[in-house]
Amino acid sequence: MTDRFRQDLVAIVPKLRRFALSLAGNQPDADDLVQSACVKALKNAAQFCEGTRMDSWMYRIIQTLWIDDRRRSKTRGAQVDPEAAGLNDGGRAARLPEDRMMLDMARDAMGALPEKQRIVLSLVAIEGLSYKEASDVLEVPVGTVMSRLSRARDALLPQLGMSKGPMQ
Amino acid sequence: MTAETVMDKTRLAAFADGELSPEEAAEVVLHLADHPPDQAYVDNVMAANEALSQAFAAPLGDPAPQAIENTILGAKQTAEIVRFPMRPSVWVGAALAAALALAVFTGPSFFTPAQPPRLAVGPISGGSSLSEALNSLPSGVPWAQDADQELLILATLPIAEGFCREFEVIDHADARIDLGIACRTSDTWMVEVTLSEPLASSGTEDGFVTASGAEMQGLLPFLDRLGAGAALAPDDEAALIARGWSH
Repeated sequence: MTDRFRQDLVAIVPKLRRFALSLAGNQPDADDLVQSACVKALKNAAQFCEGTRMDSWMYRIIQTLWIDDRRRSKTRGAQVDPEAAGLNDGGRAARLPEDRMMLDMARDAMGALPEKQRIVLSLVAIEGLSYKEASDVLEVPVGTVMSRLSRARDALLPQLGMSKGPMQ
Repeated sequence: MTAETVMDKTRLAAFADGELSPEEAAEVVLHLADHPPDQAYVDNVMAANEALSQAFAAPLGDPAPQAIENTILGAKQTAEIVRFPMRPSVWVGAALAAALALAVFTGPSFFTPAQPPRLAVGPISGGSSLSEALNSLPSGVPWAQDADQELLILATLPIAEGFCREFEVIDHADARIDLGIACRTSDTWMVEVTLSEPLASSGTEDGFVTASGAEMQGLLPFLDRLGAGAALAPDDEAALIARGWSH
């Protein structure tokens, strides 16, 4: 394992924490997830193909660990406590009260989504991955990514006070 | 196209997500001009994407937590990453976060020179490895003497007359974890309270310890009675260790 590998991994920690936060719903659990993923990545560093995207590789590890953890503790839902869990960002993301309310609703709505929909929506809407990149991370066809996204948005948009679009 | 024609939602979403080619995007733009409901849907998808992006943006502005950085960079000092048994990851405070970076400890047993088989309440010999670890080991950086026994300090907490440190000793040979709180109010450390739990009940075989402290919940009432404050930040803890635990 090279120093470059470790440095590259440190450099993407903020993005990994954001992705993990969108899945776990609170920062402490998200950091547990990232830390566990880093340990796994270091252990399996030989499997990483240089020249490919390390963030996508780590997203795959994180989402796998998260789902595994959820399966182990099905009684535990996402623990969303904005004050205690560090989701309160001191107004950095939203200055207006209505904006903060929207962000709170977005977090709640995200936490209510089924696991697979939450993951794909996070990869595309938050992490900015293309459908193809998301399909590579999740190892599913692009069509599956699109259908999961569609179902996720059908559930999410009404919770944000938005129409889920024209009936098909 | 008429105003009644509705474009497939997945195509509208793909447009909002920037997935379409320039030609396909231009076609959608023309369609949206005549179809306000579809335009509203595209606007909603874009607004939701933006809201989600902002809602979880906080970590981007924060430095990587020391425990995670230690896990990545600190592991460089070791020959290999040692797997730990998975335990439930119930958060009892960010201060209990612990790194997994593993430094190989080459000294005698943690319990030497007395070498009691279990963690015992009472003063810790000044020459013991446990005392040395409590004096010098940062929180979140495990020490492993061998494959059977590992020690991890979870946090450092101030009390009125000194400091306490939460720690755990994992004994793989005996399949148990001993948890303890040791406090230092003079020149020596004193184990104030201990708890034990079987390793087998702590999780599965294919995992490892995560940066949590669920098992420490049993010790929290004791910390409350001590009037322990919030765990020290890594920099403050490092400065305290460097000062030799003087205020």
